[in-house]
Amino acid sequence: MALVPLNYTVRSLFTRRSTTILTICSMGATVAVLAGVLALQQGFATMFVEHGRTDLVVLLRPGATSEGESAFPRDRSDILIKSSPEIALGSDGQPLASAEVYLAVRRFKVDGGETNVPIRGVQPKTFEIHGDDLQIVDGRNFQPGTDEVIVGQSLVGRIRNCQTDATIMLNTTPFKVVGVFKSKGSFRSEIWGDADRMLSALNRRSFSRLIAVLKDPSKVEAFSERLENDKQVPAKLQTEKAYLESQTLALSITFFFLGSLLAVIMGIAAVFTGTNAMLSALTARMGEIGILMSVGYRPFAIFLAFQLEAIVIGLAGGLLGCLLVLPLNGIQTGTTNFATFTEVAFAFQTTPLVLAVAIGFSIFLGLFGGGIPAIRAARMKPTEALRRV
Amino acid sequence: MTLKIVLRNLLAHPLRNFLTSGAVFFAVFLLSFLQAVVSTLDAGVRSASTQRLWVQSAVSLFVDLPLAYESKIATVEGVEWACKWQWFGGIYKEESNFFAQFGVDPETFRKSYPEIIVDDEHYKNFEGNRTGCLVGKDIALKYGFRVGDTVPIIGRIFPRPDGSPWEFKVEGIYESKTAVVDQGTLYFHFDYLKEAIESGDTDGEIGVGVYLAKVRDGADPGQVQSAINAMFENGPQRVNATTEAEFGRQFVSMLGNIPLLLRSIGGAVLVAIFFAVLNTMLTIGQERTRDVGIMKAIGFQDGAVFRLMIIESLVLSLSGGLVALGVAKLLEPGMRMALTQQFPGFAMSTNTLLVGLAIAAGIGVLAGLLPGMRIRNLTPLQGLRGQD
Repeated sequence: MALVPLNYTVRSLFTRRSTTILTICSMGATVAVLAGVLALQQGFATMFVEHGRTDLVVLLRPGATSEGESAFPRDRSDILIKSSPEIALGSDGQPLASAEVYLAVRRFKVDGGETNVPIRGVQPKTFEIHGDDLQIVDGRNFQPGTDEVIVGQSLVGRIRNCQTDATIMLNTTPFKVVGVFKSKGSFRSEIWGDADRMLSALNRRSFSRLIAVLKDPSKVEAFSERLENDKQVPAKLQTEKAYLESQTLALSITFFFLGSLLAVIMGIAAVFTGTNAMLSALTARMGEIGILMSVGYRPFAIFLAFQLEAIVIGLAGGLLGCLLVLPLNGIQTGTTNFATFTEVAFAFQTTPLVLAVAIGFSIFLGLFGGGIPAIRAARMKPTEALRRV
Repeated sequence: MTLKIVLRNLLAHPLRNFLTSGAVFFAVFLLSFLQAVVSTLDAGVRSASTQRLWVQSAVSLFVDLPLAYESKIATVEGVEWACKWQWFGGIYKEESNFFAQFGVDPETFRKSYPEIIVDDEHYKNFEGNRTGCLVGKDIALKYGFRVGDTVPIIGRIFPRPDGSPWEFKVEGIYESKTAVVDQGTLYFHFDYLKEAIESGDTDGEIGVGVYLAKVRDGADPGQVQSAINAMFENGPQRVNATTEAEFGRQFVSMLGNIPLLLRSIGGAVLVAIFFAVLNTMLTIGQERTRDVGIMKAIGFQDGAVFRLMIIESLVLSLSGGLVALGVAKLLEPGMRMALTQQFPGFAMSTNTLLVGLAIAAGIGVLAGLLPGMRIRNLTPLQGLRGQD
């Protein structure tokens, strides 16, 4: 069967310039919205979940689902660390584990308004645990036992007093910022200091959680089971990866829900628009269809030509949409994770996956938008089409 | 006469015009939904009372204030009473069923909120039952809570040592006339929580998350605020007394760029739909060239054909828009229930609907302008020839 030359399809688009351009713009905006929300979700997911380790475990009080709710008094956390042979040993022969105090504190944003910034008090072993995942990029690390803190890179410039040499007030205690650190994960939006100094400044008696490196990461289950049934210090154990996933589930679902809702509703509107554009192309080209048919092209070839034209429009809209969201890549944005009530900062990430989904979506829009007009075109009788010129 | 021509014209291409109107329908529906979400976010700020102050830790939302602060706050000049609020943070059956629970003082709680509607008899029972609770209408509907039911809540901040849930008996279901109080919260006796901690029935520490300070009529809230802040300036816990509006704004501000994000999405929807309607109107304008030539030849004025085009565009856009707003309003109760967790108090306010209407009308007029101006400037001869 002879196909209608591709050339014909492309030329048709150019002859009906204004309709083509308006339809492409309309579809581009639709695709841009979907891609934008996806890029946001990707930025969020990469930051939290992809950096979670499976050899690092997080211990919480039974029943707690986040570190903000969890509590370990000092005696209990000491017993737990010392009596767990499952924990790997550090260079000095001591267990690679650290108790942490965690609290979301009220801070003011540079551009106005208030937000909750996580403060984490850590023990010295923590830096050996995290290794290269954490790097000081300005100033130096804090001295254990002193009122010094370091701040995560993504707080700098967004939260007041978060830069080297500034002073941060915690209740009635001033802390000096001595450095800025970077981290790929969520730590980069936190303030870190000495665990004991934090406990006393914040007037607290208990640590929030423990982290520990496993000797044998494959034995997580057994360790978890043992701690759950431990009479002395029961605890809930998860790998860091699982913990981060559980913390961000609600926000991820919200993004997913928002993205799908927008894609469906705007998608239907875009299909309608695409159908309209192709219908008017059909009306304008009745005569041509009649001629094509009378020179022997089969209805299916006509159908394909129209369908193809719609897909080309969709694809052009998809490319435009991708172009529109590309500049968003890397732009920092912040919101509150209401599962933990803390601020999280993350960047839009227009990953290849995002762009692929956007392009796929646009082809899909073209396919559906072109469906009805293409069928109509194929069903036309040559004589009828010629007569209606 | 005008309307008749417009309708005849529109009905001449039913599929195309239905699709255009349908696209407007989806766009306006989405826009009004986004607008409703954004305006719900700060509805609490707008309807805040100046008679209620909130006293919270100056350090963190998660640091409790001592119990002793209640009587101290009550002695401040201009404060009528203080009411304890403690965040319970438990879960009903599963984590996905999250709704807020607060331990409060039933007596001062009711006095502080004249905007809350609840049966007097039921409220008396709530006050009299130490393990009783009051639930909002939205969660009562969503989870089927009825007066007399027992609601099991698993404590996370205040877990029972054996992991069993707390049990609260529903004594009343409240409705709220103010956006400050949503209808998706469970209130119970603060004293029940306190006694459970004292007797070792639950883990956790005794404390008060926030105090609500009722300002006496005629007293200056600003002065009361400074007096409370000054009282605890040197610890043990510094406090921050804020107006109800400020307290609400704090939560809105936590959302960061989300409102901006939603508005940008709305902007993109607007662009997409404007191009779609404009596209249809340009096509209509082309087709109408010959008709316009005839009309002008038999004496229709330039202004008349221009008006016709604008009205046609308006009808096209408004028909989709109005149906969308109607559907949005109809779906409001369902959406409120579905979104009670994410956006408590979700509402399609009159303002939101008016914004939607204005958008639909605006798109209609703007999309009609370009083809309208073209046909206005046609001479009868150009029109009859079917070319510019």
